[in-house]
Order: sequence, then structure tokens, then C-alpha cells
Amino acid sequence: MTVRMELLPLLFAVTIASFACRAGGFWLMRFVSVTPRVQAALRAAPLAVMIGIVVPAALRGGVAEWLGLAVTAVLMRLTRRDLVAALSGIATVAVCRAALG
Amino acid sequence: MSFSNTGLRRGYVAAQPLALGVFIYAVTFGLLARATGLSIAEAMLMSATVYSGSAQTATVSGMAAGAGIGASVATILMLNARYLLYGAALRPWLAQASPTQAYASLYFLGDSNWVLAMKAHANGESDAGFVFGSGIAMFIPWVGGTLVGSVATEWVADPKVLGLDFLLVGFCMAMGTGLVKSRHDLLPAAVAIVVAIGVDRLAPGGWTIVAAGLAGAFTAFARKEDAA
Repeated sequence: MTVRMELLPLLFAVTIASFACRAGGFWLMRFVSVTPRVQAALRAAPLAVMIGIVVPAALRGGVAEWLGLAVTAVLMRLTRRDLVAALSGIATVAVCRAALG
Repeated sequence: MSFSNTGLRRGYVAAQPLALGVFIYAVTFGLLARATGLSIAEAMLMSATVYSGSAQTATVSGMAAGAGIGASVATILMLNARYLLYGAALRPWLAQASPTQAYASLYFLGDSNWVLAMKAHANGESDAGFVFGSGIAMFIPWVGGTLVGSVATEWVADPKVLGLDFLLVGFCMAMGTGLVKSRHDLLPAAVAIVVAIGVDRLAPGGWTIVAAGLAGAFTAFARKEDAA
């Protein structure tokens, strides 16, 4: 139940970064109007980031991971609920790993 | 009154149906954080300060792979860049409150209560306390769920058996699939996929996320046609 001292600089840095994103847009709107290009870039960033997370896992994954990704994508399209889709995908991975050994 | 206790209470109550999902997500984060070597206190500290599911999950996964401060901060900035838009969209409403009230509301802002608040505002809600109250309603189950998950890990033998190493990837697949709303989203996504494969081959590690994010953002920025 302790916090390692050597971890504090990293935790502090990510805290500042996280709050800068939360407060930054509100603050910046005092000075600039978001141009359509900037807006398009901000809107495209989250999906591109998620691709950056999924692609390496898919490249390294086997049958279990590919099935998990497929189940997640299909359920998301059908239910529109990310919690349902993601947890079902995770369960698929767990079941496949158990079944395939 | 532009920021009142009754508005705060309205937001807190209106957000309650979302609390269970936030709690479950937080439990899974707590389990993952412990599996990647964080203590219970460290996991809770991160949940209370960073307060972003996708960013926290990516950060602890990166830390387990040896990511330092630079890569961790870049990951957070990329994953939370959407909050720049959220905050910008809230400006006309939150500017009616005092700066302290506005920035406190932004600290507790999450995806789900932002959507909820924007909907409420469109339906005539004008009290900025609503944003703060609905944020608090998400923050409590987030930190509480992190505690439950990080304590429960004592009884979970191997997180791989439960597929927990797949947690972030699963959530990103789900949220990413949900983010593809029109043909417009496909070109930046395609460029991000190509860049992600390339960077992962050349320099595996935390930078794949940042490179893919920047590639998608720059593609959308550089495209001639305006965003729909």
C-alpha cells in the first residue's frame, strides 16, 4: 500500500498532461476559433490512436486475439455499447486460450 | 444563477445510470494496473489524478513495456486530445461560471458525462453546476472501482488466463469501431494503420501509438475537403 518515490515524477507528468488536455480546449477558446482543419485533426486523432494500440496487438496475436477483435467489432456494430463489446471480446480471448491450451 | 447546488445535484442524479459501466471499467483497470506492477495506492493515485480509462490503461501497459516519462506523456496527450474539443465545446456554457468552478468541472470531465451534459444543454439545461455534478458522479465509481479491482487481484492468479492483457486492445477496438461514422473517417484511419504497421516493424514500443495518432491527425488536417 505504498507509492514508490521513483514513480512520482512520471505520475506527476502524466497528471499535468491529462489536465492540460481537459483545460486546454476551454482555455484556448479565449484566443482562437478552431478552424475546420484543426477540428478535423482533433476529431481524427482518437481513432488513429486506437489503431496504434490495436495494430501491434493484432500483428503479435494468434487465433484467440483475432477472434476477440472480430467479436468486439461485430458486437460494437450491433449493440453500440463499448463496454459490452469489449468485455465480450476479452471473454472470447480468455475462452479461446483455455480451449486452445 | 449560472452555477448552483441544485444544478450540481441535477447533474449528479442524471449521471447515475452511467455509474455502473464506469465502475466495471475501473475494476478492470485496477486488475490490469496490479498485473503490470503498480501498488494499490499507485493505481488509485493514478485514477484520481489522470482520470481517463483509455489513457491510464495505455500508460500502465507502456510502463510495463519500459516506457519512460516522454513516451507516457505523449501517449496521454494523444489519447486525451479529444478533451481539447470537449472543453472548447463547453466554453460558451462554462464561461458563465467562475474560473475556479469552470476548471474544477473540467478536472472531473469524462467522455460519458460530457455527452450527457451536451445533451442536457441542448434540451435547455443552463446551470453549469450540471457539468460538475455529473463529473463527480463518474469520478466516485472510477476511484472506487479501481480500489475494488486492485484489491481483487490478490485472488486472480494469472491475468492472461482472464484475457486482461487484452483489456486495452478490446476497448480500443470497440471505441474505434464506434468512431467510424462516415466515409470521411476512413482515409485518416487507413494512413494510421499503415504507419502503425511500419513503426511497429521498425521501432516496437510505446511510440507506435503516438506515430499512428499523429499520422491520422495530420491526414485529416492536410486533406483539402473540409470536415463534414
